[in-house]
Amino acid sequence: MGWVLAAYGVTAAVLVGYALQLRAARRAALRESQRRS
Amino acid sequence: MVSGAVILSLAAALAWLIWLSRDVEARIATARWTGLFALALVPVWLGLVIFYAPIEENQGIIQKIFYVHTGAIVPTYTGFLLTAVGGIGWLRTRSARWDHLAIAGAEVGVVFCSLMLVVGPLWAKPAWGHWWVWDLRLTTTLMLWFIYVAYVFLRSFAFGSDTSRTFTAIYGIAGIAAIPFVYFAVDLAQGSTMHPSNPTREGLPPAMGQTAGVGLITFVWIFSWLVARRMEIAALEERALQAHHARTSA
Repeated sequence: MGWVLAAYGVTAAVLVGYALQLRAARRAALRESQRRS
Repeated sequence: MVSGAVILSLAAALAWLIWLSRDVEARIATARWTGLFALALVPVWLGLVIFYAPIEENQGIIQKIFYVHTGAIVPTYTGFLLTAVGGIGWLRTRSARWDHLAIAGAEVGVVFCSLMLVVGPLWAKPAWGHWWVWDLRLTTTLMLWFIYVAYVFLRSFAFGSDTSRTFTAIYGIAGIAAIPFVYFAVDLAQGSTMHPSNPTREGLPPAMGQTAGVGLITFVWIFSWLVARRMEIAALEERALQAHHARTSA
């Protein structure tokens, strides 16, 4: 059971982590775009 | 029926992403619905994994890792395919929009390929007794990962110039030549591989096939949402770069 939880847990962590990283990158890109225009 | 829904889902997701790439900043609002749809599918799929899919006789509960491991396969291949499509589009039109599709496909494809490579050993250790074996399927998958990690690195080091876009477009197109080797690796190895052959509809009990199918649809829509968001970031960065060029050349 531990292996199954690890596999699903890693998947959830990677996907949520990447989505959060995209959100931060989007905010930074928006700020940069507004600053330069 | 489920395999038809998977194909239909994939076709719809690809059509949406291509449509979105034409004017991502104006059309990105549609991504909200895609994200909500993907999010709604997750508990349905997990419910099927836990309560509907039977426990396999030989491996027991650890076989449930199959549903998350195989779920990452289609997004991996699709991401790298989008990189090639975007690369071809860039080479033909020199439109940055195609380039944004290419980088988004590569980066999100690498995320799903990484998942495959991390989750696989978590299944291999209890099933085979080894974290990793250098058989043809695993080795070619690792090579595919390296090819597109290199693509993402190249892009991050050389952002924005037409020369770098052209070089990486050619690289991204050439990279997909590795996908058939990964897909057919088990057949090519002619039995001398630890990795099982590609699952077929006929080879799985109906409840397992249906659960895997819903898993694939869920992953396809999560993938599409992530690609859309990454394309939007590439478009915003492009706009900032253009504004910077306009200011410095004025």
